[in-house]
Amino acid sequence: MNPSLMKGRGLVKGRARAEALVSEKAFTFAHGVDPATGNVTDVRSDIRGSNVRGKILFYPFGKGSTTASSWFLEAVRLGNNPSAIVTEGVDLSAVIGSVMARLVYGREIPVVSGIPRAEYLRIRSGSQVRLDADLGEVRVEP
Amino acid sequence: MFLDSFQEKLLRGEGGEARQFAMEIVTKVGDAVGADALTHIKSAHILAHYSSLHDAGVEVLERFAESGGRFAVPTSVDPASIDLQNWRSFGIPEDYARQQFRLCDAYAKMGGMRCWTCVQYQVCNFPKQGETLAWAESSAVVFANSVLGCRSNKITAGMDVACAVLGLTPRFGMLLDENRKAGVTFRVGLRELSDIDYRSIGFFIGRKSGARVPSLSGLPSAVSSDQIKHLGAGAAAAGPVTMIHMPGITPESPAVADAPGGARVEEIEIARSDLTDVEADLNQTDEFPDLVAFGVPHLSVNELGELARQLEGRKLKGNVKMYAYTSSQAYDMAQRTGITSAIESSGARITHSTDAEISPLKKLGFNIVMTNSAKLAEIVSSEGEIKVRYASQKEIIEEVTG
Repeated sequence: MNPSLMKGRGLVKGRARAEALVSEKAFTFAHGVDPATGNVTDVRSDIRGSNVRGKILFYPFGKGSTTASSWFLEAVRLGNNPSAIVTEGVDLSAVIGSVMARLVYGREIPVVSGIPRAEYLRIRSGSQVRLDADLGEVRVEP
Repeated sequence: MFLDSFQEKLLRGEGGEARQFAMEIVTKVGDAVGADALTHIKSAHILAHYSSLHDAGVEVLERFAESGGRFAVPTSVDPASIDLQNWRSFGIPEDYARQQFRLCDAYAKMGGMRCWTCVQYQVCNFPKQGETLAWAESSAVVFANSVLGCRSNKITAGMDVACAVLGLTPRFGMLLDENRKAGVTFRVGLRELSDIDYRSIGFFIGRKSGARVPSLSGLPSAVSSDQIKHLGAGAAAAGPVTMIHMPGITPESPAVADAPGGARVEEIEIARSDLTDVEADLNQTDEFPDLVAFGVPHLSVNELGELARQLEGRKLKGNVKMYAYTSSQAYDMAQRTGITSAIESSGARITHSTDAEISPLKKLGFNIVMTNSAKLAEIVSSEGEIKVRYASQKEIIEEVTG
């Protein structure tokens, strides 16, 4: 098995190649990311101060308010969204935000889930990652 | 996901643009989460507050309304970002109010019940046991699954409107028996639970459960629906919890052993120290607050009455504001029964149709918020702009009134 390859399930199709931004804690866009900048503002997030814009964002689960998808969509409207999202459990907010982004703003933000935290934590923030949600694959580039 | 011939027609646009848009959302979400089909719902509860929906959400709701979208089932709505009646007296800027009223107009055009509350199950949207729902508002979903014996996933913004317009929701998650079994069991053996203890217990459960459905035993037999409401809100604010099995309360788990469906699961005893840890975690300062907020989720008229009794003969100190957030229905009843005047004689105010966590607190100049709501404490402190103090209602009143 190739240690740089992780296999999950593509929930929203598409491909991305970008820098990883890796959180080991439950994550939310609602009150947790400033849509006007893409900055993570959640004081309980371990990636507070990082910016999600253009990144492949990893977190284990969603949390909190059911409004997260609309915060996500506002970030999309303003061009400050991540380029893809990878989770352990299904985060419905990410799925719906991504589906709406495609319908309303014509933007493709693939979502892959089913990659356990223990597995994706081998990736460091800043590493180059290639993601193919059609295949459910996430690969760290050398 | 299977679609019947009528649903196929809607997806092709034969039922109009709004229903096509809604079908595109629910089918893509349904496929993403592995739903096998769409199923009928009895009611919907959606989000239409500007602070979370932002300009993107205004565009989406207006697109639904203007393209002929009408709610197919009784639909209620979460609080607005402003007090829809008295917003000017709370200092809300005109341009902010205008965006909220655009959402209100689109929602009304679509035929929604205008009750603007997060406790719809206490005031305007009354499901009966066994119904399938598509509700947004995480605390209400916990209440529906855990107390009312209904089935709802936590439906997120955007999809909530799509489900309401179609009267359909993808069948997955908490709609299926196999996903409703408890995967972790909590026991609370503590006596003398205060108002924040219920919220802290919920918060602790939310933190510890992860993706598992929790069960909770050991609550006092006299526990009230208001206390469970706040417990559930705390849990949903801290993690992905959408249901808490409470033997004796939850219809499908009459006894402790029923909740896990026979499987052996982790058992966690909740100690007093776990609750003080939650309090320490949610407390960011010991400075005197400039706002005290009660009612996230909305206070019932009983809770307003209790607040009035606790405030009797007291006056707010210094410049601190105290707002009690409630539904329009409870607000009207409080006015008619003298509760409002009793609360207002202390200098506190009752505000309705809005709630603290979705109102523009920073814009209104507040820097230190004191509350007994774990949900509000979690949300406000997460943003990092306003400092939070978390204490019981009694402690708060003792500190900020004289």
